[in-house]
Amino acid sequence: MNFFKRQWMVPYLFLAPALIGTIAFKLYPIFIGFWESLIYTSFSGGAEKRIFVWFENYQYLFDDKIFWKSLEITAFLTIIINPLQIAMSLGLALLLMRKSKFIRIIRSLYLLPIGIALPIATIIWGLMLDPNQGLINGLIGVFGIPPQPFLVSENQALWCIIAIATWKGVAFWMLFLLAGLEDIPKQYYEAAEIDGATPFQKFRYVTIPQLKRTILFVFVADTAANFVLMVPMIILTKGGPLQSTNVLIYEGYRSGFYYQDWGRSLSIITILTVITLIVIGLQLLFLSEKNEGIKVK
Amino acid sequence: MIMHFKRQWSVYLWYLVIFIGLIITILPFWWGVAASFKSNSDIFRDLAPINIRAFLPGFSLESYVAIFENDFGRSMLNTFFVSITSVAGGLLINSMAGFAFAQFRFKGDNIIFGFVLLSFAVPADAIAIPLFKMMRQIGWFDTFYALIIPMLANGLIIFLYRQFFLGIPKELIEAARVDGLSWFGVFWRICLPLSVPVTLGAGLLLFVFQWESYLWPLIAAPSPELHLIQVTLGRFSTEYEMVWNQQFAASSIAGFLPLVFIYMFQKQFVSALTGVEQK
Repeated sequence: MNFFKRQWMVPYLFLAPALIGTIAFKLYPIFIGFWESLIYTSFSGGAEKRIFVWFENYQYLFDDKIFWKSLEITAFLTIIINPLQIAMSLGLALLLMRKSKFIRIIRSLYLLPIGIALPIATIIWGLMLDPNQGLINGLIGVFGIPPQPFLVSENQALWCIIAIATWKGVAFWMLFLLAGLEDIPKQYYEAAEIDGATPFQKFRYVTIPQLKRTILFVFVADTAANFVLMVPMIILTKGGPLQSTNVLIYEGYRSGFYYQDWGRSLSIITILTVITLIVIGLQLLFLSEKNEGIKVK
Repeated sequence: MIMHFKRQWSVYLWYLVIFIGLIITILPFWWGVAASFKSNSDIFRDLAPINIRAFLPGFSLESYVAIFENDFGRSMLNTFFVSITSVAGGLLINSMAGFAFAQFRFKGDNIIFGFVLLSFAVPADAIAIPLFKMMRQIGWFDTFYALIIPMLANGLIIFLYRQFFLGIPKELIEAARVDGLSWFGVFWRICLPLSVPVTLGAGLLLFVFQWESYLWPLIAAPSPELHLIQVTLGRFSTEYEMVWNQQFAASSIAGFLPLVFIYMFQKQFVSALTGVEQK
């Protein structure tokens, strides 16, 4: 009797460790982050004083030129890097769908950057892009191009970071698109061929509609990942030169860890989280709307 | 004849594009590993002006010896410890949760599952700062606890296990229950042993997450005795800015192990990530 009474607890017991971990370390910090963004910490007289100031931290932020510049850079980065990475991943996935004797080894080689952590990729690329002795300047010198400043130039640094993140990211996102492409039944292409479709028509009317769900997933996940891209900034540019790579997430990190201004730091993180959710929500809304009528697995 | 020529032409173009792409993909690896076996002055000599020797490996082990004198071994051991504990703990608690979602209907199951899915949409770097404040409050700041415990629960791994356990025939589990096996026995003796493929993929994911994590260990455990491998690498590149060969050597070692594992279990890794069974 006692045994049956306790049965209802069984699933919760199995669930408990992971659920506690998820709530405590993944969901609760979001609320903490918001809550702490309403608090101003002062260090007057050596003692830490915490004052609840409502939205004052946000007010300061909105009057702050550095914040707006940072927002602008984040917007620019988002608009460039995400379509670029998706287009390149899709292009690469299509290239790697082709049958060839060497396709297995070619695919494996293209997957190499997935196994390399971003800090490592950042360090190696940082040395390659070194303005004085870097490999890239050596290589372009062979073609008669004068040495470029790359990461120490206000105009080039962000593009260099885009290049590094893309080098690292394309193979990863390509993996999902490749899996999606291989899932498309061959008969669809055969049917299109019988109808006399050109390669472009096959791409437009078979591949794209069939791949839509995968592309949507990759687009959303990639956008979310790039909103928090800051390892290259931490290791290479420190947000510079002249704030040209100072994205929101890095500004938030710097406000907290360099200047101990936690209210400002967490206000920025909260704003970034809200922006991320809005952008992802819009992507889901616009891109999945036309999904009706397409075969859903 | 023209048809044939056109097809040939497109094959050549394909090879050309693939070849250029491969060079861009591989160049950093090639150059980095080659340079890690050179003395610092040799690296610079081969670059200015650039010549073919820049791409040929040297024979010097000086950089490798030097990084281990710089406490690199310590951070490798730390990373092994943290990764292995995280894999073991993470596999256990996430597979248990996956089992609960697959086997039982209970009050609130859909809502809880929704929260789990939501949790893996939360980017780890965005919650790192509030999580850091939390660690300071509960006294885990700058300890191994901070490096391991927050990383254990993982929505993606729960999801992978749930999908796998859903495929186990109900009759098998009912038969075991009739034979008097407890629910934990069913999980431990029947379901878990069946889940080798998903466990390999999930374990590899957890391992790679820990091995490659940078921001969290950087802020949560600043003491040198607790440094993980990526943090040490980052430090190398700022503190020893001109010592290129050591940066290359450290990067080569840190990059090697995950690559080997990923290549050994490529099939499981890809299907764990993409949710598609590889042929």
